[in-house]
Amino acid sequence: MSNALTLLARPVAWMPEPRRRQLGLAILIAFAVSFPVWHNNDADIDSMANAAAYAVLALGLNIVVGFAGLLDLGYAAFFAIGAYTYGILTSFQVQPAWSEFWVPFQWLGLVSKIAADTGSGSVVHFTLSFWLALPFSAAFAAFWGVLFGAPTLRLRGDYLAIVTLGFGEIVPIVVRNWSSLTNGAAGLNGVAAPQLFGWSFGVNATPYYYVAICLVALLIFVSIRLRDSRIGRAWMAIREDEIAAGCMGVDLTRFKLLAFAIGAAFGGMTGVFYVAKLQTATPDMFGFPVSVMILVMIVFGGIGSVWGVVVGAFFLQLLQSWWLEDLTGWIDAFGRMVHSPWLAHVDLVRSIELIFGFILVGMMLFRRDGLIPAVRKQAALSFEQQHAVVQRGGFADLKLQGLGGDVRTGAAALEVKGVTVRFGGLTALDAVDITVPNGSVVAVIGPNGSGKSTLFNAMTGLVPADAGSIRFHGEEILGLPPHEILRKGVARTFQNLRLFPNLTVMENALVGQHARLTTGVFRAIFRPPGTRAEEDAARTWAMEIFAIFGNRLAPRVTQMVSGLSYANRRRIEIARALASRPRILLLDEPTAGMNPAETLELAEQIRSLNTLGLTVLLIEHKLDVVTTLADTVYVLDHGEVIAHGRPDEVRRNEEVLRAYLGRNAQAAAAAAI
Amino acid sequence: MTDTALFLQQLINGLSLGAMYSLLALGFTLVYGILELINFSHFNVFMVGSFIAMWVLQMFGLTGQDVILTGLPLAMVLLVAFAATMLGSGVIGVLIERLCLRPLRNVKGPAAMITTIGVSYILFNFILLTAGAENLNYPNPMPSIQYHIEGAVLDLRVVLIWVVALVLMLALHFFVQKSRIGKAMRATAQDPEAARMMGVEVDKVVMMAFFLGSALAGAAGLIFGIYYNFTSFIIGFTAGLRAFTAAVLGGIGNVPGAMLGGVIIGLIEALGGQIAGEWTDVIIFSILVLVLVFKPTGLLGRMAPNKS
Repeated sequence: MSNALTLLARPVAWMPEPRRRQLGLAILIAFAVSFPVWHNNDADIDSMANAAAYAVLALGLNIVVGFAGLLDLGYAAFFAIGAYTYGILTSFQVQPAWSEFWVPFQWLGLVSKIAADTGSGSVVHFTLSFWLALPFSAAFAAFWGVLFGAPTLRLRGDYLAIVTLGFGEIVPIVVRNWSSLTNGAAGLNGVAAPQLFGWSFGVNATPYYYVAICLVALLIFVSIRLRDSRIGRAWMAIREDEIAAGCMGVDLTRFKLLAFAIGAAFGGMTGVFYVAKLQTATPDMFGFPVSVMILVMIVFGGIGSVWGVVVGAFFLQLLQSWWLEDLTGWIDAFGRMVHSPWLAHVDLVRSIELIFGFILVGMMLFRRDGLIPAVRKQAALSFEQQHAVVQRGGFADLKLQGLGGDVRTGAAALEVKGVTVRFGGLTALDAVDITVPNGSVVAVIGPNGSGKSTLFNAMTGLVPADAGSIRFHGEEILGLPPHEILRKGVARTFQNLRLFPNLTVMENALVGQHARLTTGVFRAIFRPPGTRAEEDAARTWAMEIFAIFGNRLAPRVTQMVSGLSYANRRRIEIARALASRPRILLLDEPTAGMNPAETLELAEQIRSLNTLGLTVLLIEHKLDVVTTLADTVYVLDHGEVIAHGRPDEVRRNEEVLRAYLGRNAQAAAAAAI
Repeated sequence: MTDTALFLQQLINGLSLGAMYSLLALGFTLVYGILELINFSHFNVFMVGSFIAMWVLQMFGLTGQDVILTGLPLAMVLLVAFAATMLGSGVIGVLIERLCLRPLRNVKGPAAMITTIGVSYILFNFILLTAGAENLNYPNPMPSIQYHIEGAVLDLRVVLIWVVALVLMLALHFFVQKSRIGKAMRATAQDPEAARMMGVEVDKVVMMAFFLGSALAGAAGLIFGIYYNFTSFIIGFTAGLRAFTAAVLGGIGNVPGAMLGGVIIGLIEALGGQIAGEWTDVIIFSILVLVLVFKPTGLLGRMAPNKS
């Protein structure tokens, strides 16, 4: 027996990974399609259809929570909006008096004219087709998602959770109290069943099952396409580090709103399906417990993991409708056998929400990535790869498409004038003037707390300035949001490293190109040849950037950033900034934490980049790096520029010595001369 | 009832509700100030608190509103009930922190918040399964002494609620301002890293925040029972959401702010309920959104600077 199994398993084991995936998918599709045929039990097919509906909801919420990292606790509200939209537009709940206005709608088959209950006159009966209702309700729910999300998505993530919780609570209250529209707590009745070519689905579970399966397939497809596109990368960047995402060109509000709207749209769509299937809708079907259940499905399957979420949704839904009852029966029988009245009366079906609570806590404590984690651990580099001889960067190969290319014309690339930044009573920057000529390397030095990083933050839109102006090639950039500043060609690195730790090296560099790529939602889903070409070019460009660092990053492109050495993470941050094709590169202590050899290597690389025409502004503590690299040095102390000039001039400046070394040291230096 | 009387009556009701929301809001604010965590389990620690108090009162042989006590016995029973309830829910809070949240202290992202939702759900369903879904008649030994002011009725129990809430809030305020561990709490809220380096035991501070917050939630639970004469597994959700709104309104992380916010929300509920009826929650929720959008620091400002 075991021999036979091994024989069967052998070809599968030999199969290459993509082929194995195709085989698995084919088996899954065959199973899903044939299920109602070989298991002809209406109740079970109905359970499967419900489970599929919840899988769609979970996939929709996964886009919001898993991809974009926005904790939405009121997702059921969008489910309700979709459901009631379809319910109201196909039932007899709302019947305005008939007038000429409705005639065009009658031609389109959206309404029909019926006799009023009161006997006199005619009223409008809405007869929206199920198939039209799917996209229409999706759009309507998305509209509400945007309307509601626009003011709140600017908030910190944890506030969003409570606001969505409130929203999820308000929608059922509105539904319950707006009786004329929704029939209140009693619920809508007589919702029309879907029709296909004149044949009504009625109450038979099988057609609903197939519709639900198609919706699941659609959602899986859309989720995967979006995840592996510019859109999905932007979402994951937001999830990993909002500030860095903004500085790498991601429009935070827009992309959060996009995730929210897409999630809402799928919620609304599922609402249509669910109500069409039940042919009734009550406010209780969309309360907080539903939102929590969908969240539990995601957490259980794996936050952000498409297949995990599907498995989680099916498992938990079927657990409720099939397995829990059996399990209860067994436990009760066992209880009677051991004469334990408590065990004999255990009812797991009623305890399902308690079980959900334990799943949430247990998964968070012991398996945060869920049943099927979204990211698979990459194998570490082999011994040979790790110990390969370090090769210096290959600049010859780097086609500098848009990277700098500026010549030393003497014109100012970046002009900082009178910039003042105050934090409460503290003046972090006091009327700072700095000019960075085109094609030069300018260094900013100064003791800790002298305002160097604040200067960078003001330049990149992270900190608002109280006064002054910052012009980049003549354009004012002060007051612009970070993503627009990057778009203009100002890219930066951070002193304390702000990479996207759970993305790969390649993905980090691709996020860097976000502003230079154009793929939108529809192109991300349908992936036309132009988008494919764009994506390929983006990857090629990233590899060219990695080549600057020789073989340090290139073999590691598929690894998670979080597992790499400190020096390599610094290099990735520079690569990510370079990937955005900047005209000026702001480096905040690029060599911090590197050993002397690595420092020298990086200094050479920065020098080479500059030779190729990239303007560089750097903050650095290592004075030898500053001396070898910089054309001009600015010295900041207590938020003021106390000196600037060529490195050797600045080194001898008395005020600089005092700021750096204190009065006594200055006296000692004077005595030595 | 005349309009003045009605207004006065709703003012009295609003202040009583406000006292309850203030106590509850303090728990949100203490934990948020230190951990930047919205503690959803707080919703149902409050609910469990009201059950603990009910069980304690029942242990004294009190059922419903039939047994009336006066004088010293009443004072003793109430004192024991409040003390036991606050201790019980305080311990629950500490257990939640110790078992479920401390392992996640340094995990980025929503893991800790999701855990508190799970804990909240466990408490909620535990009470639902053991105590049932019906509203339970709450034991209340307070004699029905009423004062009439301009046609409005001021019940003795309302006076008690005000006094208890005021005493507890003043005690908390002085504790946070003056005591050694109170200072440590404020230091941790400002900068956990620096506080740790100055020798503050952050674990102890966090535990204290959970204990105090949950104890106050327990007291609020007892007040809920005495005020409404019933309790149920379901009371935590709405009250919690309103109290959280109160904390945000006053400025989250800000102790006096939570008290102020609680009173305002209580008044809005009582006076607004007169006008808006079923839509009161919509109004309160709108306040939450408006405050978050236009003045996220709340009325009195955040105490801790925004850590980023």
